[in-house]
Amino acid sequence: MDAIPQLIVSTILLGGIYALIAVGLTLIFGVMRVVNFAHGEFLMLAMYLAFWAFSLLHFDPYLTLVVSLPLFFAVGWVSYRAVMRPVIQASHNVQIFTTVGLSIALQNVALVLFTADARFVRTDYYAVIVRLAGAAFNVAQIVAFAIAIVATAALFVFMRWSYTGKVMRATAQDRHASALMGIDTDRVYAVTWAVGITCVGVAGVLLAPIYPVYPTAGLQFVLIAYVAVVLGGLGDMAGALIAALIVAAVEVVGSYVIGTAWKEVLYLLLFIGVLIVRPAGLFGQRGAEALGT
Amino acid sequence: MRNAKWVVVVGTVALALGVGAVQAQQQLQGEYKIGVLEPLTGNLAVQGRLHLEGYEIMRDLINSRFGGVMGKKLVLVSGDAVDPTAATSEATRLATREGVKIITGTFSSTLCGAASEAASRQNVIYWETSCVDPRFTRRNLKNVFRTEIDGIGFGWYNIEFIAKHLSPRLGKKTNELKIAYLSEDSSYGQSVTESARQRAKQEFGMQEVGLEYYTFTTNDLTAVILKLKNANPDILHHIARDQDAILFWRQAREQNFQVKAVVHAGATGYGNPGFGKAFGNDANGPFALLEPGPGLIIEKFRPEGQRVERAFRDAVKAKTGSDVLAGGHQLAGGGLWVLKLALDAAKTDDLDKFRAAVMSLDLPVGSAVNGWGVKFDETGQNSNARVQHYMLQWQNGSLVTVWPEEFTTNRAKWIPLGPWGQRK
Repeated sequence: MDAIPQLIVSTILLGGIYALIAVGLTLIFGVMRVVNFAHGEFLMLAMYLAFWAFSLLHFDPYLTLVVSLPLFFAVGWVSYRAVMRPVIQASHNVQIFTTVGLSIALQNVALVLFTADARFVRTDYYAVIVRLAGAAFNVAQIVAFAIAIVATAALFVFMRWSYTGKVMRATAQDRHASALMGIDTDRVYAVTWAVGITCVGVAGVLLAPIYPVYPTAGLQFVLIAYVAVVLGGLGDMAGALIAALIVAAVEVVGSYVIGTAWKEVLYLLLFIGVLIVRPAGLFGQRGAEALGT
Repeated sequence: MRNAKWVVVVGTVALALGVGAVQAQQQLQGEYKIGVLEPLTGNLAVQGRLHLEGYEIMRDLINSRFGGVMGKKLVLVSGDAVDPTAATSEATRLATREGVKIITGTFSSTLCGAASEAASRQNVIYWETSCVDPRFTRRNLKNVFRTEIDGIGFGWYNIEFIAKHLSPRLGKKTNELKIAYLSEDSSYGQSVTESARQRAKQEFGMQEVGLEYYTFTTNDLTAVILKLKNANPDILHHIARDQDAILFWRQAREQNFQVKAVVHAGATGYGNPGFGKAFGNDANGPFALLEPGPGLIIEKFRPEGQRVERAFRDAVKAKTGSDVLAGGHQLAGGGLWVLKLALDAAKTDDLDKFRAAVMSLDLPVGSAVNGWGVKFDETGQNSNARVQHYMLQWQNGSLVTVWPEEFTTNRAKWIPLGPWGQRK
């Protein structure tokens, strides 16, 4: 019983981290119908940005966060133009091979440039812990969770009420009809990709004071983010946030009750079960998984 | 007149050096080629390249100061074993194209099995210097030898340290010690953990209060730490891969998990310099079983061991500029030195005669590089007790040798570990 407050807190904070990664992924997935297998590598690059800015320039990660917003938007825009644009009309297989290739290339560039060593941003406040009602809170995790909520809400508002958001949703529903209505779908995809990469860039900088970074660091987060995205419903921001919290709860409570070795089995079983019952995800519209194809 | 004097002095020195060099060349008649398989690209390349550098440093030392191998100049030809498939094809290439009769390498437990199988098919000797998978020497392959101890040996040493050093310092009998096991779930982690569990229980009657395996890419260990807090062990035996050690240490601090000692084995996890870089002085406390580090008293080695250890350390420093040897250098250099001893004794690479010579090598602790001794068993495995290992502890940002105490100037601190933030 003593462990319950801590298990709840750990679930919320871990879920916040997964949600932070999942929102960018679900945006790209939902609008472009592209499975971005390089999402974890953009996360890794952002973690390295925070590490090197901290090590070389003594930039606090939260200062780097400000820099990362335009920087990763630019990285997203350039990577769309250079890599994704030529394959955006191609089959899913070609797109999958392209993003997997991008993922492998980015991992190996990081390996050559930074070696395989795990590096960690040790800020002055990394060991500052808030203890309340039998639970311990790490300050960096609280900030990450808060920003996950804000980012999800901002994206939700942006997609629902802004003109660009409406255009993006229209393109997600039917790219050909959107083009016939005068929408520049190429530009919509570029913006979508860049915003998605900006989201994961923010996530990477926020994760740097919490987790060590190394060339394959993105892989350990992005698989779970995929699960959250599909579980929550493709393109559904709020769904991704709630699904991330569910996955985190299964992981944390499963580890405590059954054993750590079982936690992947547990959340993947949940994932398979939901897909059988509701193929569109917990919060997705029935048939949404086939939209825009 | 003064100039003439200098001409005579310089000329004499030059002549002496020239004659010496010619004599050194004359002593080595012909070349003897050995294959080296290491992952030189890909995820394992950092360690693979360190091992290759260790072989090359020792090769140069053997040729320049220790008479080559079998009176011949030792030559290395390398192959890139980036994964098990490449390890197989490169081992075959080294045997068939390069014509080597001995292959050494490959450090990683994911590679040594495939590489040695391929070497066996070519009837080539496979001399492993690092991989610690216990299955490596359990396949009834007569061509396979390993100079380093395996994962079982690591578990054996960890319990030796806990029983002989930590137990008296904690003022408890071994059967009063409560020990919890936490490990990443690779074959390495499992073999070290299971052998430690077995020895702790059967030989020393230690009380096991917890056992937990996890995937090293886990993102959260809070639930594990809560269980460990409930179990309240004296000792945590934790085998970590890399980033999981950093994650555990950070979260253990958050959860204020107090344990009297943390013991690890190997160059990963707490044995990786990255752990110290991540935490600085906050890393103080954990132990890692490794090759000897700072504080080693080389004078405690036997004279022949001192000679080669000093020469090797000087050569590594000349190459890297560092007084602190990397584990890859030590394992590769130490393993190649034992191979030289075996070849010099056998005077041939004929498998049966070579094997007989290896089996007859009987050198006590302190005879070779790293203070190792040599005594192989019939499986081709060097003996746990002879391959002297050392317990290092994180002290103020450095891993320093603290045990066995007769081999080091340093002493283990923080036994029991004090509260977080007071381990200065």
